[in-house]
Amino acid sequence: MMGRTIFIDPGRCIGCQACVSACRECDSHRGKSMIHLDYPDEGHTVASLPTVCMHCEDPVAPCAEVCPADAILVTADGVVQQADTTRCIGCANCVNACPFGVPKIDLQAKLQMKCNLCYDRTAYGLAPMCATVCPTGALFYGTLDELRAERPGVQVADSFTFGDVVVHTGVAMVVPADKVRWPVPGGLPVVEINGVDVR
Amino acid sequence: MTEPPQTADPTPAPDPPAPGAAPAADGPAPQTPAAVRRRAVLAGAAVSALLILAIVFGSRLLRDFDSALLPYAVATVFLAFGVAYRYTVWVSAPGARRLFRQGWRSFFSAANFRRAPTALPKMIATYLGLQKFLGARSHARWAAHQLLFWGCVLAALITFPLTWGWFTFTSGSGDGPGYEMRIWGFKVLGFNALNIIGWLMFHGLDIAAVLVISGASYFLWRRMKDRGAITGQRFAYDLIPLIALVVVSVTGLLLTFSSIFLHGGGYEFLAVLHMVSVVFTLIYIPFGKFFHIVQRPAAVGMQLFKYTSRDKDADGELKTCRRCHEPIDTAAYVENLRGTMKDLKLDFDEWAEYCPRCKRVLRGNAYLTHVKKGFQ
Repeated sequence: MMGRTIFIDPGRCIGCQACVSACRECDSHRGKSMIHLDYPDEGHTVASLPTVCMHCEDPVAPCAEVCPADAILVTADGVVQQADTTRCIGCANCVNACPFGVPKIDLQAKLQMKCNLCYDRTAYGLAPMCATVCPTGALFYGTLDELRAERPGVQVADSFTFGDVVVHTGVAMVVPADKVRWPVPGGLPVVEINGVDVR
Repeated sequence: MTEPPQTADPTPAPDPPAPGAAPAADGPAPQTPAAVRRRAVLAGAAVSALLILAIVFGSRLLRDFDSALLPYAVATVFLAFGVAYRYTVWVSAPGARRLFRQGWRSFFSAANFRRAPTALPKMIATYLGLQKFLGARSHARWAAHQLLFWGCVLAALITFPLTWGWFTFTSGSGDGPGYEMRIWGFKVLGFNALNIIGWLMFHGLDIAAVLVISGASYFLWRRMKDRGAITGQRFAYDLIPLIALVVVSVTGLLLTFSSIFLHGGGYEFLAVLHMVSVVFTLIYIPFGKFFHIVQRPAAVGMQLFKYTSRDKDADGELKTCRRCHEPIDTAAYVENLRGTMKDLKLDFDEWAEYCPRCKRVLRGNAYLTHVKKGFQ
């Protein structure tokens, strides 16, 4: 994991969409929000889940691996950048291969876009837009020590299971200390009845 | 990062694949980097040899070859080697290889010729020529890129055949004004050097230079002012190509300036300067941003694959998300992606049959159920 990163705590998220609005202000994709805010069990709970790019470390960036145009660069500091505008052909391989459902695509512009950890800010030591505006700390930017200084004893996880595969990420999630599961389930495997996933 | 607690039940690591396990369906055998490099060197050598033969025979056994242009011709041979090498390495990677094959398969399929004979020419015109997708990104970038693109195309169409000795301009009277343009020794055009056709023929490269300088200047300005473009930009990758294009164009224009206004003053120095800038730019093409010139046409194959597989699916249906049934893409495309993921040992390829939103929601549900039940 990189030294300074985003820690996501869905338990703190109130679904206010401040992160979604702030993300639009990022200079590297002005006017378009790259963060996803989902309501997993809408109608039954008020739970909400913010999703930024997890900056996969092992396997290194599946989105970049499946890219047929070598358009997705992983910088030396582990940040998986959005597609190079010169190279991206808009095939959507990255969109559909990402286990976290992160990249977006503009089919007219034949261009993929995704969270790049606000590289215009984080490269200069500033926090990403989403973490800057989050009123509850559901999105925290800093080192693990800084997080623990604010939230003593907090446990975080940076690996997720998808079926039999474990994906280690650069961005981490907060997990309860007493109920920690390791790694965090990523949503697979499938529960199917008559060919339809019923989860 | 925290270590997993000892009490937790860690998910066992997946078993390593059995020796000799069959590759993914329709997947080629794994290739070692050394094998890829060997094939790339062979491809580069073959293409370079073919180009040398084309130069020798195209210039009528070097009779029409202009020895003053030798450094340019040598640079194009290096360029041919570099492009063939890099192209071979590129299409050997799993993602590119599968789409490359699917593109050619779509192109040669009888169904494609029968049902959509105009699809490919249309795609070439709108995608490669007019570059409509750039207009969807930004109108200004589209306009600047069109200037750059057509300037480079014009320059390449004039200079490459001249360099190879394929074109000749000869005058029966020795010093004009009547000239003949010959290709491979065959006369294709006779013109008067003093009329508009003659002016255009002899100033084609000046026109190309003006187009390129206009386009490249916009992009240089943007690279210095646009904060989105500045984010993550690299000097060697993003700025060198633009600077190289401007230097080539300006030194080329200075040759004309020298001959018209300085009566040839400094021409020899400028000619060497121009030659050096062109040679370095040509040799750089396979290695940096310019490689998109080679890569982008290959993407037409991907478009054709998607188009024809969508057409084939007209009787059936698109692949839909297994949870919410929103369309993902064509069934053939999703199958192709799953194959790519298997080639890369990304063994969560089943996940490709879910839309991005459902992936996130299912992960949220899993967190809600298994990790932090009270997170609502």
